Amino acid sequence: MTQYLMKRLLWMVPMLIGISLISFLIMHLAPGDITTTEAGFNPKASEESRQKLRELYHLDEPLLVQYGLWLKRMGTLDFGTSFASHQRPVFWQKQDAEGNVTPGMIQEALPITLMINILSLLLIIAVALPLGIIASLHQNGPPDRAITVFVFVGFAVPGFWLALIMMYWLGVVNNWLPISGLRSLDHEHMGALAQIWDIVRHLAIPVFISALGGLAGISLFVRNGMLEVLHQDYITTARAKGLPENTVIYRHALRNALLPLITLLGLSIPGLIGGSVIAESLFAIPGMGKLFYDAVLMRDFPVIMGILTIGAALTLLGNMLADLAYAWADPRVRRGIR
Amino acid sequence: MKRALANPLARWGFAIIVTILVLAIFAPLLVPYDPDAIDVKAILLAPSSSHWMGTDGLGRDVFSRMLYGARISLLVGFVAVGIATAIGVILGAISGFYRGGVDSFIMRLVDIMLSIPTFFLILAVIAFLTPSIWNIMVVIGLTSWMGVTRLVRAEFLSLREREFLLAAQTLGAGDMRLIFRHLLPNSLGPVIVSFVLGVASAVLVESGLSFLGLGVQPPQASWGNILTDGKEYIQFAWWLSLFPGMAILLTVLGYNLLGEGLRDALDPRTRK
Repeated sequence: MTQYLMKRLLWMVPMLIGISLISFLIMHLAPGDITTTEAGFNPKASEESRQKLRELYHLDEPLLVQYGLWLKRMGTLDFGTSFASHQRPVFWQKQDAEGNVTPGMIQEALPITLMINILSLLLIIAVALPLGIIASLHQNGPPDRAITVFVFVGFAVPGFWLALIMMYWLGVVNNWLPISGLRSLDHEHMGALAQIWDIVRHLAIPVFISALGGLAGISLFVRNGMLEVLHQDYITTARAKGLPENTVIYRHALRNALLPLITLLGLSIPGLIGGSVIAESLFAIPGMGKLFYDAVLMRDFPVIMGILTIGAALTLLGNMLADLAYAWADPRVRRGIR
Repeated sequence: MKRALANPLARWGFAIIVTILVLAIFAPLLVPYDPDAIDVKAILLAPSSSHWMGTDGLGRDVFSRMLYGARISLLVGFVAVGIATAIGVILGAISGFYRGGVDSFIMRLVDIMLSIPTFFLILAVIAFLTPSIWNIMVVIGLTSWMGVTRLVRAEFLSLREREFLLAAQTLGAGDMRLIFRHLLPNSLGPVIVSFVLGVASAVLVESGLSFLGLGVQPPQASWGNILTDGKEYIQFAWWLSLFPGMAILLTVLGYNLLGEGLRDALDPRTRK
């Protein structure tokens, strides 16, 4: 297991270098110099801030040197400061000479997005598992058909459109749920339980929206996985030796059908993080997605580059956790048989 | 194709796709109004016999804009997925045919691209370029070729072991002939499936980008940016939200249904 872990950890190094290279190249996609107005840089930006940009990325040096210096800064997790007037550090808090701490932008946004993503994953598992199992046990029966329809519609419905409708119906017409931000105005004056409830109410629609696509996909995946396993010989054996049907399904079939799900959940992380852009900007939730969207609108390059790199690193981490979980669940993997 | 259309779901998908394609292609002949014509006397009118889907905040006819929006969405979908498929087929073919170092290099590139959240990647590229319909096609194409690459590579790897390829090699066929005459035609099925499914997701991405104001720029109509107006006027004009949303849903549904139907038809294991 330790050996496996080491191998996976070492593997992340070339991947991170590759990601940094791609992020770096994107920055140089812009026609000409990224500080010029042709590149769409905010025309109101002063000559001073352009100079700062040039210095930050060493734009006067050859490309290779620029990349080297940028990589060096990445290595120390220094993503610079935002171009916005508040000039906050992009990644982590900084302390100035007088001891005032300015919190980093990603530092504040990341926990919120992680919370939404973890809740979405939990919701996906809680709903998709039973749906998939029910569908597989009634192959081609009415429940299976209903779930198939749900899956196709779930795939096809544009999340932002559904969000808009839910916002209007649940928030504006009926006023059941708040539709903006993370906390109510009087959040500070609530009791602890009320505070949690307040956040839950604010996150209900966004979490549902960001889970929807995954919900459909994973239901289908569980269904097909179960069907495949249920047709195997060892299930027939289990039934033949007289095990109760529930034991056959939940102990013998489900556990094997779930194995590939671990990898799939790991692979769905970039989609969830990326999908947070629309949900968060629509509901004004101050997470990574909204931060990224605002940065794109303002062409706040340090923030864009920072989130791109951190987002990719998180994805790598998520995939690694999924692989480790797989190795934990499947002895064949950790013994190197597969 | 015939086998795919035996599947009722795929038939529905096909019907939806053809209908929308016909509407999009003949849009200039079908629209009752100029999609960009502003009419200050007809702002935010509800659907009626003269404006089937109502009018928007500038008095433009929503039905006309929807038809022109269909052209944009499908154009973006097809070109973007065309680019992605071309890249994927070429890289996958090289990877699966030559194997070895080239293969590991391409596969690592695929891994790296897959680990960057796609929507972030697309937005980042658009931040450095200017949002326009051409840039969006290219960007979606350049960020969604990884699946096809893996697919073609896997097909090539398994086809390579087959006897007909050995026979062709024995007859003295060169690499190019092997790839283009023997391997590619035999791996076309999954590529077509992934193309059809790819159009569905490209349409979704384009509408999302346009909705955020980072895709197709007004006054050019797209389903996504009609929805942006829909959001603005949601309390007064439900028709601005309902119709483009339904159009996106139906289009994506159509391509997904056809794609899944084709997949089932091509997969010998599910064939009855």
